[in-house]
Amino acid sequence: MNRKWIKTIIGGLSFATAVFVFQACYGTPQDFGDDYLIEGQVKSKTTDLPIKGIKVSVADNLQYQMTDTEGRFSFYTDMKDNIKVMFQDIDSTLNGQYLAKDTVLSTIQQTGFLDIKLDDK
Amino acid sequence: MLTAIKKLAFRKFKESETKLHELNYLFWECTTRCNQNCLHCGSDCLKDSTANDMPLEDFLSALDTIKKPPKNFIVVLTGGEPLLRPDIELCGREIRKRGMRWSLVTNGLLYDKEKHNSLLNSGLGALTISLDGMEDSHNWLRNSKNSFKKVDNAIGIAASSARLNFDVVTCVNKRNIAELPQIRNFLIQKGVKAWRLFTIVPIGRAKDNPDLLLTKKQFKELMDFISECRKESGISVQFSCEGYVGEYEAKVRDSFFFCRVGINIGSILIDGSISACPNIDRSFAQGNIYKDNFYDIWENKYELFRNRSWTKTGKCANCADYKDCQGNGLHNWHGEILVFHNELLKVES
Repeated sequence: MNRKWIKTIIGGLSFATAVFVFQACYGTPQDFGDDYLIEGQVKSKTTDLPIKGIKVSVADNLQYQMTDTEGRFSFYTDMKDNIKVMFQDIDSTLNGQYLAKDTVLSTIQQTGFLDIKLDDK
Repeated sequence: MLTAIKKLAFRKFKESETKLHELNYLFWECTTRCNQNCLHCGSDCLKDSTANDMPLEDFLSALDTIKKPPKNFIVVLTGGEPLLRPDIELCGREIRKRGMRWSLVTNGLLYDKEKHNSLLNSGLGALTISLDGMEDSHNWLRNSKNSFKKVDNAIGIAASSARLNFDVVTCVNKRNIAELPQIRNFLIQKGVKAWRLFTIVPIGRAKDNPDLLLTKKQFKELMDFISECRKESGISVQFSCEGYVGEYEAKVRDSFFFCRVGINIGSILIDGSISACPNIDRSFAQGNIYKDNFYDIWENKYELFRNRSWTKTGKCANCADYKDCQGNGLHNWHGEILVFHNELLKVES
């Protein structure tokens, strides 16, 4: 019999579900959480040029990232069926001025890559 | 009767796990630099370590020898203080790119909102922060008058994240043992869900400071405290897997004692040594990533971890609990065994 099946059966017999969830003495807990990688690029709808300094965030979550000089962003966030991603220009006139935009990402149907075009303010 | 059946099944489970020796948990000692100078440090780290941080690409070359990591495989970044690495987020992202999870152990000094955000963005999934008492006793052990304020802030930030599997660890010593109930309440108020308690093994800087070590009576008090806490809700409290504690085994942990070093736990140390928990004696190293294939070593060496019969010596030779203890946690072995947890419980009443 496959050793992994033996492990499951005997581990179950010892009545401790925790036998499969361990952490080393000086280590951290294990990570069984689900998350999702959101990546993409933000450009100007008018010029098609990348926009730096746009705040990209997810609704109901304090995480955020600012776009880089290529307008790119990339971050992991909590897994949900639908993730509302928000784009905000928060640096006033620096790097231009753009209207905010929200988009809903379906993690079931879509990959995590978003091509975003922002309208000039 | 039920306990005896459970113990028997658990022994068989350990045998099965040992034969399978699936690598689930890999420590990476990514730096030995540290921004504290703790009285109890087990790794004897220095603020100005002579060892350079291991280059990320060197670690990744070793990691890439693992062709099919198990689904729950995790890389645990440790040190020193891992947050001193300026490329910590890049390290995490490269691990995640390979379909693996990562986590880190920190003293919390550099863990602020911005760092929390950037680490989560990089796919951090689990975190452990050290808290060694309320303000005075934490600062005493950490050898720093501002440490508590910073770790208090860090714990609050980490506990606010639903994504992180987060716990706090406390090294129990003569100075903080009386305030454990206070620490428990403090952690509950901060929203912490899990708390692990350790004792201090006399290694590193701690070996020269007997004041850090509990008396037998205090060790039993600690077991009783954990046992009582586990009957209450509010926070999950556990004794660490540092040693076998006999009659308390079913009372202070979710599972019976099982030292998994070299069975499920490996490590890559600062000098490239391939070992198990970073706190075990450095002479246990099985190879070095700068000359060996890491995963070949994991698969084909580690004999002394997977066959512990060599520990059946001295006091262990005729011990009735040997089948369950198997020489205690391997980090207690430094030439000889330094701590017999079970014996601490048997002598004084």
